Amino acid sequence: MIIEAHGLRKTFTARRGGEPIEAVKGVDLRVAAGQIFAVLGPNGAGKTTTIRMLATLVPPTEGVAKVAGHDVARDPARVRENIGYVGQGGGVDENAPARAGLVLAARLGGMSRRHARIRAEELIAAFDLADFADRPVRTLSGGQKRRVALAVGLVNRPPLFFLDEPTTGLDPQNRAHLWDEVRSLRARGTTILLTTHYLEEADALCDRLVIIDHGRVVAEGSPAELKKEVAGDVVTLRLAGAAEPARALLSGLPYVREVRTEGETLRAYLGGERDLPHLLRALEAGGLAIDAISLDRATLDDVFLRHTGRSLRDAG
Amino acid sequence: MLRHTLIFLEYELRNSLRNPAWALFGILQPLTYLLLFAPLVANTTAGGGMADTLLAFTPGIMVMIALFGSLLVGFTMIAEMRDGYLERLAVSPARRPAIVLGRTLRDVLVLVVQALLVAAMAVVLGMRPSLPGLAVMLLLMAATGLLASGLSYGMALALRDEASMSAITQFFALPLILLTGIMLPISLAPDWMRAVATVNPLYHSVEAGRALFAGDFGAPAIPVAFAFTLILGLLTLAWSVSSIRKTAF
Ligand SMILES: Nc1ncnc2c1ncn2[C@@H]1O[C@H](COP(=O)(O)OP(=O)(O)OP(=O)(O)O)[C@@H](O)[C@H]1O
Ligand SMILES: [Mg+2]
Repeated sequence: MIIEAHGLRKTFTARRGGEPIEAVKGVDLRVAAGQIFAVLGPNGAGKTTTIRMLATLVPPTEGVAKVAGHDVARDPARVRENIGYVGQGGGVDENAPARAGLVLAARLGGMSRRHARIRAEELIAAFDLADFADRPVRTLSGGQKRRVALAVGLVNRPPLFFLDEPTTGLDPQNRAHLWDEVRSLRARGTTILLTTHYLEEADALCDRLVIIDHGRVVAEGSPAELKKEVAGDVVTLRLAGAAEPARALLSGLPYVREVRTEGETLRAYLGGERDLPHLLRALEAGGLAIDAISLDRATLDDVFLRHTGRSLRDAG
Repeated sequence: MLRHTLIFLEYELRNSLRNPAWALFGILQPLTYLLLFAPLVANTTAGGGMADTLLAFTPGIMVMIALFGSLLVGFTMIAEMRDGYLERLAVSPARRPAIVLGRTLRDVLVLVVQALLVAAMAVVLGMRPSLPGLAVMLLLMAATGLLASGLSYGMALALRDEASMSAITQFFALPLILLTGIMLPISLAPDWMRAVATVNPLYHSVEAGRALFAGDFGAPAIPVAFAFTLILGLLTLAWSVSSIRKTAF
């Protein structure tokens, strides 16, 4: 395990009186080396605070964490030698051009002047920065800045990376580029812990994930495992009449795991698609007319909904 | 650590060369003072010609650049903190003391260059200082720069916000300037004020500068000024270094 955290807690105390803020309320994490591990959760869930504790930026109020074999609280310097960190806010020198920042990061990482320049060129190519690599970062667009920040963060090659919302603000093409970059890091044996509130991203990119909400882990597993736990398939229905009688009827069926109403529509969680014909027959027998119907695979949003009672699409 | 300090120094010097505007502004004000005040002072002091006035006035102007330039370097650091830049450096392979040391060295170099420019300007206006004296004065300016930027970074890291930082520097700037005797001779001041001035390191720097420019190497103000600024400079540097260590735990 490259990350092992038990009962991590962080309580921020306001300076002048005020309520203390419990940002993280006891998080356990186990991340195996070589994985892409996602922390998924809505705004304010405690993702950044968790990452900042693991990256030795804020001391945990309670709990222990070992990162790359070293205790975060007792041996932070050792931890720092083994990690790369790209924060949510960027963290690049706004007054210098990207190229200078890349060379600086490479030199600090121990490269010679010549190697540093070569490495900078590699990253400029990988993140497509050539058009604006010599302009001060403050003159770049949000997505361009984000790419510079990621490139600077990836200059050196530590065994573990923390990426806090790496794809926020990137257009679809650059998001795909970043996914490729993250996957190629994994191919070299690097572990990546990233946070996101994009369900599709967690689903497509990561090997394992935790869902956190209000400072607690509410679910953990691989995307496939988590989805299977909720349902094989989900039927979304809109009925001609009122939803309530249909809900009552569907809840009574043995192969329906759960039914949720969202306004006019009903979502029924099935074990698998083979149950669909039975469900249709049951509705017909009950005299209920269907307006619209669709069958989908369960998504991570269904997982989130199941564990928190809210949809991440609403919460996010 | 030394390697990282030099890497940061090089990086920051390049940054300064890329936008020299702020360094120019830092020096514009003292130069204006030199041009406006020197003739005024020359007319009010009996017997002294322009050359003598400049000899007494220029060291004060140099100390002023430290106050109006180096003491403000912390503002950039506050912006760097807000951008998360310092935070990222703190968990990068960078040795944290080097983050401050590299910047401080840059500030010291910039201050020495600015002081040289002021001296050149004064020479153009007619000042004829002792050359070894000028050289030693530049060393003293380096120590003063250490003090001013150490203090500035220390305050920036402790206060973490521009408003309180500017309130505090504004508050101290005027008394510090008055108590150096740059604008008005401190000999005109009442006893208590003279007593206060003796604990102002800048006062000693100015006195030492005057002696040095006049070629009076035996003046007691010189060792006092060096001791004062160097000790305080190292203390403030230690303060800012220990503060940057706390950016990450
Ligand atoms: N320095 C701080 N002082 C006080 N409260 C804080 C501080 N940092 C974070 N918080 C609070 O802790 C909670 C968790 O914040 P955190 O930044 O970890 O959320 P997040 O999951 O990263 O959210 P987002 O998706 O918006 O980035 C929030 O309620 C936030 O307001
Ligand atoms: Mg966050």
